Amino acid sequence: MLNVDNVTARYGEAQVLQGVSLDVDTGEVVTLVGRNGAGKTTLLRCLMGLHRSMTGDIRFDGTSIATLSPHKRCRAGLGYVPDDRGIYASLSVEENLTLPPVVGPDAWSLEKVYETFPVLAERRRQAGTHLSGGEQQMLAMARVLRMGARILLADEPTEGLAPLLVRQIGEIIRTVKEHGVTVLLIEQNVHFASTVADRHYLIAQGRVVESLDNAEVEQREHELLEYLGI
Amino acid sequence: MATKLTTAGALTATIAMGAVIAGCAGAGGPQSDSGAITDDAIKLGVITDLSGVYSELAGPNAVEAVTMAVEDFKAEHGEDVVTQNIEVTDADHQNKPEIANTTAREMYDRDGVDAIFDVPTSSAALAVANVAKQNQKMYFNIGAATTELTGEQCNAYTYHYAYNTYMLAHGTGKTVTEQGAENWYIIYPDYAFGQDMNKSFTAAIKDAGGSVVKADPTPFPNDNFSTFMTKAPTLSPKPDVMGTMQAGGDLVNVVKQYNEFGLRDKGVELAVGLMFDTDIASIGVDKLEGTLYTTPWFWNLDDQSREWADRFKDRTGTRPTFDHAANYSAAMQYLQAIQRAGSDDADTVREELDGHTFDDFFARNAEFRAADHAVTHDAHLARVKEESDVEEDFDFTELVETIPADEAYMDAADSGCEMG
Amino acid sequence: MSGLLQQLFNGLVSGSFYALLALGLSVIFGMLGVVNFAHGAFYMLGAFGAFVLLDSAGLSWWLALLVVPILLGVIGMVLERLFVHRLMHLFPLYNFLLTFGIALILQDLIRMKYGVTSQPYARPSILDGSVDLGLFTYPKYQVFVFVFSIALSGLVWLVLSRTRVGMIVRASTERAELTQSLGIDVRRWVTPVFGFGIALAGLAGVLAAPMRAVNSSMGADLIIVIFAVVVIGGLGSVLGSVAAGYIVGMVTAIGNFYVPALSQSLVFVLMALVLLLRPAGLFGREEGVHA
Repeated sequence: MLNVDNVTARYGEAQVLQGVSLDVDTGEVVTLVGRNGAGKTTLLRCLMGLHRSMTGDIRFDGTSIATLSPHKRCRAGLGYVPDDRGIYASLSVEENLTLPPVVGPDAWSLEKVYETFPVLAERRRQAGTHLSGGEQQMLAMARVLRMGARILLADEPTEGLAPLLVRQIGEIIRTVKEHGVTVLLIEQNVHFASTVADRHYLIAQGRVVESLDNAEVEQREHELLEYLGI
Repeated sequence: MATKLTTAGALTATIAMGAVIAGCAGAGGPQSDSGAITDDAIKLGVITDLSGVYSELAGPNAVEAVTMAVEDFKAEHGEDVVTQNIEVTDADHQNKPEIANTTAREMYDRDGVDAIFDVPTSSAALAVANVAKQNQKMYFNIGAATTELTGEQCNAYTYHYAYNTYMLAHGTGKTVTEQGAENWYIIYPDYAFGQDMNKSFTAAIKDAGGSVVKADPTPFPNDNFSTFMTKAPTLSPKPDVMGTMQAGGDLVNVVKQYNEFGLRDKGVELAVGLMFDTDIASIGVDKLEGTLYTTPWFWNLDDQSREWADRFKDRTGTRPTFDHAANYSAAMQYLQAIQRAGSDDADTVREELDGHTFDDFFARNAEFRAADHAVTHDAHLARVKEESDVEEDFDFTELVETIPADEAYMDAADSGCEMG
Repeated sequence: MSGLLQQLFNGLVSGSFYALLALGLSVIFGMLGVVNFAHGAFYMLGAFGAFVLLDSAGLSWWLALLVVPILLGVIGMVLERLFVHRLMHLFPLYNFLLTFGIALILQDLIRMKYGVTSQPYARPSILDGSVDLGLFTYPKYQVFVFVFSIALSGLVWLVLSRTRVGMIVRASTERAELTQSLGIDVRRWVTPVFGFGIALAGLAGVLAAPMRAVNSSMGADLIIVIFAVVVIGGLGSVLGSVAAGYIVGMVTAIGNFYVPALSQSLVFVLMALVLLLRPAGLFGREEGVHA
């Protein structure tokens, strides 16, 4: 579904991505694991078209989207949740949900969103940033569902959340998957990753160094944790 | 618009070197071989505002007025003229004292300028006076209003030619008070000129038996005077007249808003400290009808003024302000003094000028007053015409009365000038 | 008491100009990340536009109120397409150089044609005279300016808070890149929003022509205060800048009344205080604009 082919990116003088290639199939949940500064966030930004100095190719459903501008990638079915969750202070919860256009046939209705996430319904009139961190993450993912995106690109959704909330995010991701949405997430929490994802890419110094399945992750969890410096 | 060089490069270098050497000698450079014209040329430098707020009331046309004086002077003396080489150079000081200072130094030292003219803006005017004193070269200030030029900061090489805040205050402040408007509310822009005007007006009003109910400084520049307009009628005792010391765009704002708030209907008249024809055109004659103000000169004053103004208009396409007329007059008086003395040496010329009395289209009953170097002459209390009486552009003013020179200027004894 | 109320009303009238200018400046800043130093120049062009249309075509002030903002809005959009949008990803110094350069060029063009002295402009005769506001009488024209700008700000507020376009503008003003990645073509909105901001500045200029001196520097003198207003209101908060406009107007008027000598610096004292106590501005991001 998503094919990334030899993508490079730079920040000024620094080469952040040195030729990343990876594939995500329809219906899969795939995580990108790696240290801080390994290039994970940059890769996600490249996928969304937010990083300007990029080379290589990105195909979505077989069509190259590498030169499309961000709003066209969104309309093609990419749903993005940035590392700060991307909730607007000047928009209410409901406006945060309805700002993006509907891009796919499986888009959730507002009612369905509120049924699934009742807390958002309660707070629909409040400013988006008045929600707690976990609720904001919920809102950001619900927004992707409401758009009807076919792939969710989430940048470390569990970062800074308490264990209980991490579990809740895990449930949301499973809900997303159940609805046939493909997921690519950045994750440092290897244990969490192995509970929600099907496959993992280990990224280091701007390259994919290994592709792992869940069994391998469990087997090598200790080693991976050490590598990630956690 | 930079200063012009007339000699070849090598010669320039030599002159420059000479200037440096003379400067090192500590005398400041004047050559004292009196009885001759140095370099066989007289150089007049006009430092003025060529592009800023005063560029229309002074500016390029002030340079033109000085050039016109040079041509008239040569024509008058024909073969007998003291020298055919009379040059006019100009420079823009942007109304900034530091630029005026450097420009004046360059003109005297590098370009061999013998006398500097105009220099509007009081702070810049005082800066140039200081340079003239150090270099011992002639300086005729025309565009600035401060009495300091002939007061504590006076010097032997500086003459203040056209007007000053004392004249404006004693013309307008005294007359309006004597006509029965005893209580004044003064608003003045909060910088040197405004403060000086406020002081002079307050003194003149008190002399005439009136009182200043309140004097408020206002921001500069400022486009909103509504606070002062609503405040005026509420003061106690209620002022008979609001005296505005604002100039240029700020004055336009004051008058527009004075009319907006209908202060005249509320019994508060308007008196204006300093006004040019350009200001009247901006505001509209109808808004100013009957307003009293003092001016050293206006072009429609009498036949000889009109005649000169016509010639000026032929050259420039516009009517002269008093600054233009005074630049012409000062340049002419300076050249005539050189003709009489046969030398352009600064000390010789100032001795020739001190105490000299004259009359021309600009200055009546005029005297180069030796004690403080004020060039005293009659001033005029004027009134803005009714709109229906206006016959052409810039025909805005009618004479109310002439203020004799000895009343228009403070006594030299009171000036605080100690000529060194 | 009525004296103080009258001063507050004075403040609201001058605040009307601050509000209209700050509104445009703040929308442009939010959406393009561009501090538009040319904003004051367009205010000046608004006043000159009214003057030129009256002088050469005999067009009344009322028509100028409609025509001039539209014309300037179009000019603004052209400038945005030609130059300003190039600034979006450049170092902020280029922003200063371009917009300040545009301001100087516009000012000098006007100065070359009309000189430095002010141009005469009479207010429409129907707005001559005063109205009784109960506690005091006030010039009719200035009451009109205040009512007009309040109505216009209210209209802008309605559009911003109640419509989808308004939502998109708020979102793009707050975070342009994110909004882009949520499927909205922000660039398509940037040009009309820039034109709208410029049109508001021009409108303020037309409103100013009958009561303020119409000359080439009238905008340059005002723009610094407007920047302070935007900072006080909170960068990125569109309605905050409007509220701050009226607040600054009133504070300045009160200051003028009690300590005239200080009134010029009062705006900046207020700005410093706001920055100390609420670094995001009075209506900064935390409280944003809500429907």
